[in-house]
Amino acid sequence: MDIGNFKKDSDLAHDLSQHKKNALEKLHSRQIVAYQGKIFRANPETINLVQTFKAHNKEFFMLDTNGNPAHITNPEEFLQLLMQRNQEALNTYHQLFEDLKQKRF
Amino acid sequence: MSKGVLLYCFDTPEVAYHKLAERCVEQIKKHLKLEVTIVTNSETYDKFKPLGFVNYKIVENSTGNFRPYRGKNISWNNLERKNAYVDSPYDTTILMDCDYFVFTDNLCTYMDTDYDILMHDKVHDLTGMDMILKKNEATLPIVWATVTIFKKTEFTKKFFTLVAHIKEHWLHYKNLYRVAFRNYRNDYAFAIALHQLKGFKEHTDFIPTKMAMLAHEVDVLEMSEKGPTYKYKNTLGYVEDTDVHILDKEWVNG
Repeated sequence: MDIGNFKKDSDLAHDLSQHKKNALEKLHSRQIVAYQGKIFRANPETINLVQTFKAHNKEFFMLDTNGNPAHITNPEEFLQLLMQRNQEALNTYHQLFEDLKQKRF
Repeated sequence: MSKGVLLYCFDTPEVAYHKLAERCVEQIKKHLKLEVTIVTNSETYDKFKPLGFVNYKIVENSTGNFRPYRGKNISWNNLERKNAYVDSPYDTTILMDCDYFVFTDNLCTYMDTDYDILMHDKVHDLTGMDMILKKNEATLPIVWATVTIFKKTEFTKKFFTLVAHIKEHWLHYKNLYRVAFRNYRNDYAFAIALHQLKGFKEHTDFIPTKMAMLAHEVDVLEMSEKGPTYKYKNTLGYVEDTDVHILDKEWVNG
């Protein structure tokens, strides 16, 4: 085994790792939605919380990303928005992830 | 309710900021689809290529501020931003550096909120080298004035009035908050104004994502329709469909 190639492999792994990190930041930026004047992240935590509240109440309050309360009066609409944005962002990330897989040694 | 983007752009002997602004406007029109107003001086205005429908406000800008850039101390005409409240013709404004390039419509999201003012408080160094922020730069956390989304409200009126006061007495405020930069920086002037207006408590309402950034040590080799390709030491990188703040000022010269 040629140990000289390890440096090349390590450099490639570093670049791929950074590329993935940048793609994740891009995903996080794309997951942001505005609703009822507040800011939310369309991540699993928010989606699950809205789904749970929606199962028990027609309207409810929850905190936005800055800890400010929002009155959610149309949970179905809000949930659809969150799921749509979450999947849009993840779909883009998935495509990028597949591209990165091809570049791995 | 009117919405638009406000840019401040003044060429310096070292940097052709108008070229950065031209590309910046192209990106805004393509992705944000918002009206643009550029505040500039007559010398810089004369150099702009035709940009289609763009509003210009011609002012006589202050000079005399400097910044470190690639081992040199260069002119930095960043002293007019305190006037953004008055200069903006919009109810909701994205005040943006002309070296910030949008490749998404993400910023539009923040215009549809109740927040008076929103800025980034975190950055993401795309090279992974964490070169942007040094330790112990000041006794209060930085906010990034690069992208400031504000509505015309009583709070933001007070905010920009206070920023103007801080700019006038920069040496005092710099010492008070132990800011490590002798030269005036809008980032810290904005951070100080928020700190004081919020009752000397930490401001908590920010854009919840990190601002992607390339430090001035990073060379931008190409800027395609999708994003920049960059080089730092022996490493090449690229990002696509990501809004990015680029501190290399020479890539526009080709």
